[in-house]
Amino acid sequence: MKRRRYASSATAYGLLLIVVVYNVVPFLWMVFTAMKTEKEAYAIPPTFFPEDLTFEAFEQLLRWTNFPRYFLNSTIISLGTALLSTLIGALAGYGFSRFSFRGRVTLIGLILASQMLPGVLLVGPYFKLLVQIGLYNTYIGLILAFTSITLPFSVWMLKGFVDTVPEELDDQAMVDGCTPFGAYWRIVLPVIMPGMVATIIFAFLLAWGDLLWVLVLTSGDDMATVTVGLTRLVTQFRTIWPQLMAGSTIGALPSIILYLLLQNYLVRGLTAGAVKQ
Amino acid sequence: MNEVFKARLKLLRLPTPSLMPRNASLGYLFVLPTLLMLVLVLGFPVVIAVLNSFTPLWSAERVFTVENYTNLTRDDLFWNSLQVTAIFVAGTSLLHLFVGFIVALALNSEIRGRAFFRVVAILPWTVPDVISGLVWRFMYNPTSGVVNHALHQLGVTQRWIEWLGDPDLALPSVIFADVWRGYPFVMLILLAGLQAIPRDLYEAAQVDGANVLQEFRYITLPSLVRIIAIALALDTVWQFRRFGLVYNMTFGGPGYATDILPIYVYKQYFRYFNFEYASAVAVVSAVIMLIISIPYIYLIMRRD
Repeated sequence: MKRRRYASSATAYGLLLIVVVYNVVPFLWMVFTAMKTEKEAYAIPPTFFPEDLTFEAFEQLLRWTNFPRYFLNSTIISLGTALLSTLIGALAGYGFSRFSFRGRVTLIGLILASQMLPGVLLVGPYFKLLVQIGLYNTYIGLILAFTSITLPFSVWMLKGFVDTVPEELDDQAMVDGCTPFGAYWRIVLPVIMPGMVATIIFAFLLAWGDLLWVLVLTSGDDMATVTVGLTRLVTQFRTIWPQLMAGSTIGALPSIILYLLLQNYLVRGLTAGAVKQ
Repeated sequence: MNEVFKARLKLLRLPTPSLMPRNASLGYLFVLPTLLMLVLVLGFPVVIAVLNSFTPLWSAERVFTVENYTNLTRDDLFWNSLQVTAIFVAGTSLLHLFVGFIVALALNSEIRGRAFFRVVAILPWTVPDVISGLVWRFMYNPTSGVVNHALHQLGVTQRWIEWLGDPDLALPSVIFADVWRGYPFVMLILLAGLQAIPRDLYEAAQVDGANVLQEFRYITLPSLVRIIAIALALDTVWQFRRFGLVYNMTFGGPGYATDILPIYVYKQYFRYFNFEYASAVAVVSAVIMLIISIPYIYLIMRRD
């Protein structure tokens, strides 16, 4: 039995070594390319490690392109989306968790199903609507559009967090003279605060990584986000790969950091609580 | 509930909380903002999309017609797109499951540095798919990319392969890149499932003399069936609407070799401006998606 354990952990280490290489090489390629000169990035045959290491690409990207603006736009839009959908999503999560009103199951089922609607179904009408009401190419227009993706998912995630809070807690508060809203606001919200933060971050990241909506609902460089800005850098006449990879590194960084912080909520949150972690 | 609290209730002659009637209709008040918002930002656009799909192409007036749908059945590019989508979705989600399962098993074994390996294992999934698409596009670059270079160094190939330029290779190459991006999440779900299996089940099996394969077949797999179903169902839905990765790697090309449905609809809308026709294709996509998401919705709702 002992021998078997050694054998199987040797296999596990071997496998994980392959995983490390497979997972990490594209990252290194991104970061190393960002630290090459343009000439070296186009070298045939290519180099993997930068031969003369330089931060030129980062400097040019931040100084001569609109990238800082893209970063700001991404931040504003993602933050707005996250706060809006978590704020009203938490109310609904509480409502669905605590009250058994008529149509509750139908409504929550519909909200779950609405998460499955493809973005391409919505972008066309959105484009026309936002142009008509003058919200095309504005932060508010984009935040409203993103809310259509993040809100259903926030409701489910927050309902899951409220479900874990014992009902006696808000009953006690109401006996002590709290209104139902008071019980929600003063008792339940503080308890699910970690869950609220997790939901805010998830919604933030959904908006941060999106390309489709921003492509359709904005025009010009001033409203572009990180994802759209990077995409446009490729389709230009000349693709400057070190700059593009520098932008990719900076654009991926918030996403990587926040997802790793969320590790313990990832599975439960994204499977609507169906899988405990 | 604590004793002091119960005593206080007795003093007040109030019923214990679990018996207190909740005003059910109050629930509507809490969910109302969300419902209003969803009708506005989701319901309304969906209705418009459906209406548009029944309007003649480039028509100013609203006349009812099904011609967009009949045209769609005769559109070879639509059928091609459907086929490419099927291969892409089936290929990526099955490979996510396969690779994810193996890595989850490795991470679940008794090894040192599990936290480190776990972080490395989820890393690719944390990058926005738009950015992964860009990185892989450059890795696949025939002359300056690392893929051809590595294969050449290893002696596998002699010539520069056009990974994304060759119509036969483009789809498998995109799928390979997406496996890198997408398997970690499936892996995390399966790992959560593996860790929930009670250890004593395995100990009992070992006492009975079961070998590793038998343990896998009679303990691991049966315990994971539901979790595998959830992971696969959710992943299928996500893969069906993947956009950014393919947009940046090939934009559906070369030709139409990687023209998945979201890309096809996008082009119909914003390249050719066939709004009404694009709506029809989008409605068909939505219907397909809702159908493939039924297992997932069922699995989730059953608990509620």
